[in-house]
Amino acid sequence: MEDRNELISRLKTLIIESLQLEDIEPSDIGEDEPLFGNGLGLDSIDALELVVALEKEFGIIIPDEEVGKEAFASLNALTDFVQREKKDLS
Amino acid sequence: MTGGSKGIGRAISLALAEKGADVIVNYSANDDAAKGVVLEIEAMGRKAAAIKADVSDTAQVEDMFGRIRKDPGRLDILVNNAGIIRDKLLMFMNEEDWNRVIDINLKGVYNCCKTAIRFMIGEKYGKIVNMVSPSAILGRAGQTNYASSKGGVISFTRSLAQEIARFNVCVNAVSPGLIETEMMDNLTEETKKELLSAVPIGRLGTPEEVTGAVLFLASDRSDYITGQVISVDGGLT
Repeated sequence: MEDRNELISRLKTLIIESLQLEDIEPSDIGEDEPLFGNGLGLDSIDALELVVALEKEFGIIIPDEEVGKEAFASLNALTDFVQREKKDLS
Repeated sequence: MTGGSKGIGRAISLALAEKGADVIVNYSANDDAAKGVVLEIEAMGRKAAAIKADVSDTAQVEDMFGRIRKDPGRLDILVNNAGIIRDKLLMFMNEEDWNRVIDINLKGVYNCCKTAIRFMIGEKYGKIVNMVSPSAILGRAGQTNYASSKGGVISFTRSLAQEIARFNVCVNAVSPGLIETEMMDNLTEETKKELLSAVPIGRLGTPEEVTGAVLFLASDRSDYITGQVISVDGGLT
């Protein structure tokens, strides 16, 4: 099982690379801040890219907006979601 | 290529292959026709496969794209051509005639695009071409169902184009008018003359003239074009 800190780091890289956030460093992404809306300045359409990236990287599918809202509430929420889904997949 | 086994769909499948695409030929009924198109494409030196799926059936469409995910694992171009006609005057059009046309012609586009864009957003590249009709723009007696379905596809095209433009995925539509096909061959000369009287250019279009528009929208030369409808109809609309 991947260490939580390792997963957080991996997710930060995934967010920056898939959304092409050239001016953002991993340390700029707060673990409890919303991923969309304020902060990173991303909107709901940008979220589509992260949905696809998660599927590609982890094989995890976000089927609808409700699940997406919960998963993308913050980096911590996303980490919890990925850990949960990965456990279900294995 | 949905509805790729006959008529304009077959012509587009072959034209894409001639330009270097490997093609998945989706079809709903005629196994032999689909296999025939696959063989023609393979004879050009391109890869092809036929996948039977009713585009109005969400599970069948997901299964089809699941197979594409395994092999070849990528999708650059989606042409939504699968469609049916069930012409009736509205007073005599039953629910089955209405539902089936809307389900295949419009919901089919929804089903295929919803799954295809996952490939394309991931690749940050894609071309979606939806086949529509002059009926959507002009209306036509007897085609409240068909015209509505194609009108819906036009609105869908424009909306989806705006949603995913930032991912370098272009979504456009081609509206073929009266085209030389088997369907046209079966009309009487009188009917053909009557239909052609509304076409300023005064002749039927050729399948190559339709495929030309599709190839353009499927190519890099249309990278700055999205949310548009190209009418290939001799001035009909």
